Amino acid sequence: MRDGPILEVDGVDAHYGDLQALWGVSLRVDQGEVVALIGPNGAGKTTLLRAVAGLHHPSAGDIKLRGQRVETFPAHRIVTAGVVLVPEGRRLFGGMTVLENLEMGAFSHRARAERFETLRSALEIFPVLAERASQRAATLSGGQQQMLAVGRALMGLPELLLLDEPSLGLAPLVVENIFGVLREINERGVAVLLVEQNARMALELATRAYVLEQGRVVLHGSATELLEDERVQEAYLGYRGVAGVHL
Amino acid sequence: MNLEPVPQLLVFGVFVGALYGVAAVGLALVFGVMRVLNVAHGELLMIGGYASFWLFTLWRVDPFVSLLATAPILFVMGLALNGGLFSHVVRLDEETKIKNSLLIGFGLALILQNLAIQLWTADERSVTAAYSGLGLQLFGIVFPYTRLGGLAAALLGIFALHVFLQRTYVGKSIRATAEDWEAAELAGVSVRSVYLITFALGSALAGVAGTLVSVGFTIAPSIGLTWTIKALVVVVLAGLGNVFGVFAAGVLLGVAEALSVLAIGPAYREVVGLALFLVVLLLRPQGLFGAR
Amino acid sequence: MLRPLLLLLGLAVAALVPFMTQRTDALNLLFLLLLYITLGQSWNIVGGFVGQTNLGHAAFFGTGALVARGLWTSGVAFPLAFLAGGVAAAAAGIVVGLPTFRLRGAYFAIGTLAVGEGLRITIGNVFPLITTLPVALIATYDLSARYYLALGLAVATTLAAYLLLRSRVSLGMLAIREDEEAAQATGVNPLRHKLAALIISSFFAGLAGSTFAFHQVGYYPSAPFSPIWTFDALLVTFIGGAGSLAGPILGAAFYTVIREVLAVNLVQVHQVIFGTLFIIVVLALPGGLVDAWARVERRFRPAGRR
Repeated sequence: MRDGPILEVDGVDAHYGDLQALWGVSLRVDQGEVVALIGPNGAGKTTLLRAVAGLHHPSAGDIKLRGQRVETFPAHRIVTAGVVLVPEGRRLFGGMTVLENLEMGAFSHRARAERFETLRSALEIFPVLAERASQRAATLSGGQQQMLAVGRALMGLPELLLLDEPSLGLAPLVVENIFGVLREINERGVAVLLVEQNARMALELATRAYVLEQGRVVLHGSATELLEDERVQEAYLGYRGVAGVHL
Repeated sequence: MNLEPVPQLLVFGVFVGALYGVAAVGLALVFGVMRVLNVAHGELLMIGGYASFWLFTLWRVDPFVSLLATAPILFVMGLALNGGLFSHVVRLDEETKIKNSLLIGFGLALILQNLAIQLWTADERSVTAAYSGLGLQLFGIVFPYTRLGGLAAALLGIFALHVFLQRTYVGKSIRATAEDWEAAELAGVSVRSVYLITFALGSALAGVAGTLVSVGFTIAPSIGLTWTIKALVVVVLAGLGNVFGVFAAGVLLGVAEALSVLAIGPAYREVVGLALFLVVLLLRPQGLFGAR
Repeated sequence: MLRPLLLLLGLAVAALVPFMTQRTDALNLLFLLLLYITLGQSWNIVGGFVGQTNLGHAAFFGTGALVARGLWTSGVAFPLAFLAGGVAAAAAGIVVGLPTFRLRGAYFAIGTLAVGEGLRITIGNVFPLITTLPVALIATYDLSARYYLALGLAVATTLAAYLLLRSRVSLGMLAIREDEEAAQATGVNPLRHKLAALIISSFFAGLAGSTFAFHQVGYYPSAPFSPIWTFDALLVTFIGGAGSLAGPILGAAFYTVIREVLAVNLVQVHQVIFGTLFIIVVLALPGGLVDAWARVERRFRPAGRR
């Protein structure tokens, strides 16, 4: 199973016009791992995920998927290469039904052939979606939408799942549910790179973690190490009541 | 002879409206998916009309049959135009994209119009088939065969498009791209390919509309802009929604124009569309059937 | 110091042209050039300064021509008819601007396009016959007068654009062009600015129409509503450089000269060429000649002065 890193980000810079958002960011996700990426708002976490997903090309550095350089690939090719992003805010196809949203997740050639099988497992993981299969996605609740977004991503048969703030705007019970599902998905062999405001839950799920601040990696290590790190505790785990949402 | 002018006018309004609908649907599709307003759409319609006319004049191909040829011809033209021209603006931010596509379309319209004058002269053309003067007579109303054929073809085309968009994977990818192109990319859809197909499809639909126009209406280089405007007005009336809404708005416009002829005479027909357009923009900018 | 001097020199030369030649074809060509400058400058106010694409500029041109011609041939003194044309066009501007400006830029473009064509067809229906000057007015026809009117108008329009650019209002307009939402956030009222720009723009386009009506002996009333006039206004502005004062002037000069050089008798071929040129400019050289010139200047500037 552990054949080497599935994702290697090496010295990546990213710009928005003249504004630099990422400075020499490097990180690694091994096969089957859960890696958390935490940090304050505006740190560049979303930018990094978008860069990996192919929506935003880095101005320097490279991104490798299983050794292959992919930083210039358009987003849909990254999906074919086995990496799927669940973007911030879900970004569902609101006017289309739950079923159609799931179908669209399997659009890439690799996933298309097995889509009926994959659909079955997705509906097993998220039974609430089966109930609402012909409902328009825009009519679902926040939690259900998040599940649909994750389900849609799973339809793409990812080997690496990227998640951008999955707990945003969701009730605590729903968040627990989602994280439980993520654990389950990971146990089935899917690696996960998770950007999360809820640092505690992210660190409890992850094997390793990185802290991103102002576009730079300032800390990294195993999740347990970071959970016990004073700086992390102060800044992101809510001790002394500074920042971060915690349960 | 018209014993009952109102019903006859209404019927003709529906016939013309159906054409307005087909003419508008291609434009609506391209705008809905790509956020590009192709103001050369009418010129593509005009070319479709000429294709039908020449196929008929040279080889006696019935215009309803020539649809099988004109649609693909315009489809290919659309591929070329998108690849060569519109694809360059599609990646810009929305405001610049719309503006530049308008400008490019405007320039393209003039190019195509003048090429048409060069190639085929400014003479007005029309296809007069063997059945052109004939029709059904029901309740004192005349239903010309050409118009009936046009309505049938229009309905068929709209329905086929609907099925394509709702039932096929490619069609769904087009709808998904229209909803959220980034999310579509993230699902594995090549948005560039979607744009290419969509533009080509829009052009093919313009070609279909043009072919229907050639039967019993005039084809001339100058009609391009007129039809573009008609299509634009219908798109604004309908709002962004589904294909049937656009078609319905087209029929509505046709009927409204027909009724206005009764009220204020034929010279001010165009004003009706304009007035409707401005009023809808003022009171209900999302369109009559708009989803947003 | 050099620029205003050159400008005055240019103006002086322009003013003396009718004394240097009485050739009708030369004067007509220059008349057209000056008309294009006016059309371009007026379009530029909305299109270049505020960044709103007006695809129906001909509607204002045509309205001015219609009203001016109608009044003048009915016996009204021309100066009055001239101004009336401008006012009528400005009124048309309000009618079009109010519903369309509230919405996104595309609606304004479509709206103006639709109004332009709709008016053209309707005028063509309502006034299908050629309007010819009554004998009395033909007898007193003086081409130099037309020339001076066009010259004066071109100068006036450029001056108006210049004053507008220097006014506080222009700050709002340019802000709207760059980012309307951001501008709104800083307290700029987009509707008011856009309407103001449109009123000025259409007013001068209307005056150009009046000038056209003054110049032409006989024409179809729907002719000045033709989209070709809109296209010429756009072409001239874009080739020269939208948003700049010199743009329409450069563009008009370029256009008129090249057209004559091509000396193509077929109207269609030159339209195709200019259509292609227009597209190339939009895609590759959005700043037009003015921008190209600035780029060349920057290349040859001594190092260190960027």
